[in-house]
Amino acid sequence: MPSTEVYVPCRSFDNLSHVPRGVLPRSTMVAVTEKKAEKKPVKGKEDSKKLPAVPESVLKHRKRRDALRTRRIQVTLKRRSAAIKKKQQIFKRAEQYVKEYRIRERDEIRLARQARNRGNYYVPGEAKLAFVIRIRGINQVSPKVRKVLQLFRLRQINNGVFVRLNKATINMLRIAEPYITWGYPNLKSVRELIYKRGFAKVKGQRLPITSNKTIEEKLGKSNIICIEDLIHEIFTVGENFKYASNFLWPFKLNNPTGGWRKKTIHYVDGGDFGNREDKINELLRRMV
Amino acid sequence: MSLSIARPLVSVYSEKSEVVAGSSIALPFVFKAPIRPDLVNDVHVSMSKNSRQPYCVSKEAGHQTSAESWGTGRAVARIPRVRGGGTHRSGQGAFGNMCRGGRMFAPTKPWRRWHRRVNLRQRRAAAAAAVAAAGVPALVQARGHIIEKIPELPLVVSDKVQEITKTKQAVIFLRRIKAWSDVLKVYKSQRLRAGKGKMRNRRRVQRKGPLIIYYKDQGLTRAFRNIPGVDLLKVDKLNLLKLAPGGHVGRFIIWTQSAFERLDALFGSWKTPSKEKKNFNLPQPKMANTDLTRLLKSEEIRKVLRAPNKRVIRSTRKLNPLTNSKAMLRLNPFSAVLRRKAVLDQQRKNNQRALALAEKRGIKLSPKDPAVRAEKIRERRQKLLKLAAAKKTKKPAAKKTAPPPPKKKAAKEAKAKTPAPKK
Repeated sequence: MPSTEVYVPCRSFDNLSHVPRGVLPRSTMVAVTEKKAEKKPVKGKEDSKKLPAVPESVLKHRKRRDALRTRRIQVTLKRRSAAIKKKQQIFKRAEQYVKEYRIRERDEIRLARQARNRGNYYVPGEAKLAFVIRIRGINQVSPKVRKVLQLFRLRQINNGVFVRLNKATINMLRIAEPYITWGYPNLKSVRELIYKRGFAKVKGQRLPITSNKTIEEKLGKSNIICIEDLIHEIFTVGENFKYASNFLWPFKLNNPTGGWRKKTIHYVDGGDFGNREDKINELLRRMV
Repeated sequence: MSLSIARPLVSVYSEKSEVVAGSSIALPFVFKAPIRPDLVNDVHVSMSKNSRQPYCVSKEAGHQTSAESWGTGRAVARIPRVRGGGTHRSGQGAFGNMCRGGRMFAPTKPWRRWHRRVNLRQRRAAAAAAVAAAGVPALVQARGHIIEKIPELPLVVSDKVQEITKTKQAVIFLRRIKAWSDVLKVYKSQRLRAGKGKMRNRRRVQRKGPLIIYYKDQGLTRAFRNIPGVDLLKVDKLNLLKLAPGGHVGRFIIWTQSAFERLDALFGSWKTPSKEKKNFNLPQPKMANTDLTRLLKSEEIRKVLRAPNKRVIRSTRKLNPLTNSKAMLRLNPFSAVLRRKAVLDQQRKNNQRALALAEKRGIKLSPKDPAVRAEKIRERRQKLLKLAAAKKTKKPAAKKTAPPPPKKKAAKEAKAKTPAPKK
């Protein structure tokens, strides 16, 4: 027994797998010296032939790390090229929309002029899109009106939503008339609302629209991949208007600078509530 | 691990602490039983209640008066008061726990449940765990025993120890075996108890020393019993209160050879149930492999895990794209084109206006004036474009579809080029 005098032979150290981990103290006795002494002569033969061996776990770790790194690089390259392609796509779409809006506007003017030339009358189509703002507060609201406002997602004063106009919704707006003001927003209103006050409903959270990724992840299925797509869908009340407008959290608007006229009577009578058709744009300039 | 255990050989030491050659015993299976400090603690708590003596206050304490409340109207509290007169005691409050000389709240009763029964299974499992823990030097040290210099753990000594009759010899044996430092520690720890135990026949306190487990007492008990801290235990009657004093596993145990050999018969192995204990087999460990680090880093588990998500997502501040151009570009890259066009259109308008004003007022602008310059560039460009368009239309004259696109392209180029070089 050469070196095994002092601190050593507690041999039952070897197989401690049955000892629960919390039981062992951190500083354990050194039984390893004996083991090392035994191992040295065995390895010494191998040592003289090869270089000092790297433990297998280190080799595995290195291999794993390198594999991960190469994969990560590939993934980033792919992602980058995809992002570039997407950006080009978005650019083209935005360009196309600018053209479309211009054509639309000029069309209306052209048709009106044409009709006037011939002594005829041009009746523009009824509005398809409305922007509804809740004017009055929470208290003392009758149940029918309350329900309608809930359905429109107007749960707070000065909340606004985009609404598609059809017989059903027009009647709903009529029920809630004293509590809302609404009208037909123009392109500038829509853009301002979505750019400045646009928040997305993601997983039940109200997240700002800071990049097109949020939009694409949610509305990719409806072929809306960027904010311009969203604006286009809303403004031209497309097929996926429902998804686009539901994606948007109800707009939280400011009180109008310059103030209201009189919230308690209809716009037509000199007040504020009810349908004010395209005068809503002027109000929105003051509220957004 | 319970199925395939390496059982190291434990060498036996003579009473002079030399290895007895040729006699080494395979480690009994008990020492591989799962060590359950929680179980041992629970069983110890219950077991140590079993040697209690009941205490209580006297049954009549506080009630040996005929006190009655004076009722209301006498400007005193309504507590029952002692009747009669002529002594301090008269009129004093009685019976209540708040009264001096009254009975205490909830007087302690002798029929309190003093003892606890422990399930046999649990008792046996705890004993197995305590024995197993005594084979781990780390645990024994953690419990506080001085075992630096002992030859081996578990420490097995030849049966000659059982024949020791004189305490002097016992001490010599302990010294030779290097267990004396543990006993010394006991000596050093002898002190008076803190508290009222002093006057209740529990005056002195000391820590526990080594535990000697034997098979046959041939004078061993009487030799060792006067050494402070040393406990003796028969293998057939292992006592958890001695194996794990205080509920803490890892007592320093010195086994005699025959005692050590008995352990296999007493506790059995997982394959064979115990011979002595009916219906008993060593408890199964909850985890076969308790090396958590190894497990977590193993390939099998790593493969099934998803990649770690080390990205910290913080909420981004919303910048208004209508005023912040970078934010706008991020959302709508075409906005750059629109903005640029607006800038250039404005410039062109300014130049045209300047020229028109100059004409109207009859002022001649210097050729270095930017409006004049821009106009010249524009005219030159238009001339070049017309030439280029003419050349293009001449060549693919056969094809019908060719001419229109070049014209459109030329028109577009004219539009694009005239604003471009102005800056």
